[in-house]
Amino acid sequence: MTRSTLHPAGARARKAGADGVRAQLLLLELSPLILFAIVVVLFGLAADRFLTLATLNNVVIQAAHIAIIAIGMTFVLLTAGIDLSVGAIMYVVVAIVTLYLGDLPLAVSFPIGLLVGLLIGCINGFFIVVVRVAPFITTLATLFIGRGVALFMTDTAMVFANDDVLTLGQTDWLGLRSSIWVFGVVFVVAFVVLRSTPFGRQVYAVGQDPAAAAKAGLKVPLILFGVYAISGVCAALGGLVSLTQVAAASSTFGFQKEFPVIAAAVLGGTSLFGGRGTVVGTAFGALLIQTVETGLVMSNTDPYAYPLVIAGIIFLAVLVDAQRTRIAARLNRRKIRIDDPQDRG
Amino acid sequence: MPMISRRSFTVGTLMSLGVAGMPMFVRAQEGKTVALLFDSLVSPFWVSGIEIMRQTAEAKGWTTLEAISDFDDNKQFEQVQAMIERQVDGILIIQTDANAVIPAIRAANEAGIPMVHFNRPPAENEYYSVAIQADNRKITQDTVQFMVDEARRLGGTYKAAILIGDLGDVNAIQRRDGFFDIVDQNTDIIEVVARIATEWNADKAFAGLTNAFQANPDINFLFTSSDFMLPQIQQVLRVAGRWHKRGEEGHVIFGAFDGDATAYQLLVDGYLDADGVQNLFLEVEMAFGAFEAMWAGEQPDKLLLDPGFVIHAGNLEEVRDEMWGYVVWQKEHG
Repeated sequence: MTRSTLHPAGARARKAGADGVRAQLLLLELSPLILFAIVVVLFGLAADRFLTLATLNNVVIQAAHIAIIAIGMTFVLLTAGIDLSVGAIMYVVVAIVTLYLGDLPLAVSFPIGLLVGLLIGCINGFFIVVVRVAPFITTLATLFIGRGVALFMTDTAMVFANDDVLTLGQTDWLGLRSSIWVFGVVFVVAFVVLRSTPFGRQVYAVGQDPAAAAKAGLKVPLILFGVYAISGVCAALGGLVSLTQVAAASSTFGFQKEFPVIAAAVLGGTSLFGGRGTVVGTAFGALLIQTVETGLVMSNTDPYAYPLVIAGIIFLAVLVDAQRTRIAARLNRRKIRIDDPQDRG
Repeated sequence: MPMISRRSFTVGTLMSLGVAGMPMFVRAQEGKTVALLFDSLVSPFWVSGIEIMRQTAEAKGWTTLEAISDFDDNKQFEQVQAMIERQVDGILIIQTDANAVIPAIRAANEAGIPMVHFNRPPAENEYYSVAIQADNRKITQDTVQFMVDEARRLGGTYKAAILIGDLGDVNAIQRRDGFFDIVDQNTDIIEVVARIATEWNADKAFAGLTNAFQANPDINFLFTSSDFMLPQIQQVLRVAGRWHKRGEEGHVIFGAFDGDATAYQLLVDGYLDADGVQNLFLEVEMAFGAFEAMWAGEQPDKLLLDPGFVIHAGNLEEVRDEMWGYVVWQKEHG
């Protein structure tokens, strides 16, 4: 017999306490949405034309390439890994597509670019899974090698997209820009894969406890290899989407892109320790960062304030995430109670 | 036979030795080895810069050793030490951080190796080195003044946007200050409605300018702190329906800074009104001249300024030979 059956009043108090904690947790779960709403309202007050469909359209277009890469990064982060090479992959792919494949139709050159991204992702996966080099070191190495190769290919000069690429970047289908469609397709595919396929569930399982996942019969090395390959393809796609927008790529193309990409994932609630996160959250994180940047420009804010505001929001989100993790852990903690002999009959 | 005094003999002997020694000095200069330490080659300016340095050094009979630090101050300091170990005759450095380079200056001073900072001066410090820098603020002032004169000639009021570089880069700050020096004196016709921090990043320039045009579709006065962002600006203006030549309805008065090949092409085509040019050829001459002066025991000023110039449709043919981007453009166009 438990104490709760013996002391209904105490049980009610404990239940009320647990409900309070759950309410706190719900509030924290919704905090990115609340933060987003606050940001939108504040910038809406500061800039006349901020609260318009055109601005929303611009935000999504500009966030699209970051969101696509961040979705790939989410797969990696879910396994408690990291991919620092995404910016370098963007640059290598764009350099190859513009320098060597510029005369080919986009239906040929872009898929080849994606294959290059896949290849680099597979190289990352090979070294992490087979050679067992830490993801941080492996992807740091491919970052430097990738940038070095791209700089060598371009001779550090700016490379330009051809007219077909620019036309694609400016093409609207059903009123939405091509980059939004690409982002949408990647989002839906990633959402379905993570939510509704065995592979997606295995990614979470590996991130939560790789040893347990291995004992349960999951092919952990194959899953890890797969997430780096996905990240490579997403980075390549993000680079191509960016190219369709900016028309050219200088030698800083993709430089340090890994930071906003990881920030987007973390802002959206993806844990750096693996096992927790969603593509919805990641896409939301990317949109939040771009909304802030857009709002800062549209409200003609002093440029010195940009990093302070963006860093402040990321810090707040991480702080909330830490609090959410702590409360979730408390709620999930197994409660062991020993009956007090004095309470017995 | 006239008598030669002891003094005349001594002076004559010293002069003769001096004249006789000149070829030896020249020969000694010919064999010099100079280290070229770049932090990156991220823009055509730096690519052209290193090319001009190589050619100038070769013409002087010098050997160059090159290294790139990829914006890593620690790596660059190690490169400086390596060059000191190799006992080079001079170190030309383009540092990322004005303060982080100070230990490198001290190390070069201790080794007795002259150091020249190219295009970016170090922070105030007690050690000796020479910096060559474009007079960013003055060149920008002159460029923006040309734009303002054009605006006054055309009449009306203007909404302005500026694309600012990296706020940690002294060149970017000086260019921003040069812009505001002039527009602040002309607030009767110019209102600055967008200050876009690009961090020298083309993506951010593109997104920032797109957003600026979204917030203020009537922006008609635009300055970019570097020519390397011109393709992205062109793209934004095209999409916004504002990419018009001088004299056409809806033309945005447009100024830039650097003097690269794209800027030259846009000046020729009539889209760009004015470009502040860093005289790269002069800067390389000044840098190498500073080495020669220091090898000769002289101590040039710690900061030597390239006055630069403004190029526009009115003086294009007259001054384009001084524009490094024109030389690149000529190579690209045969």
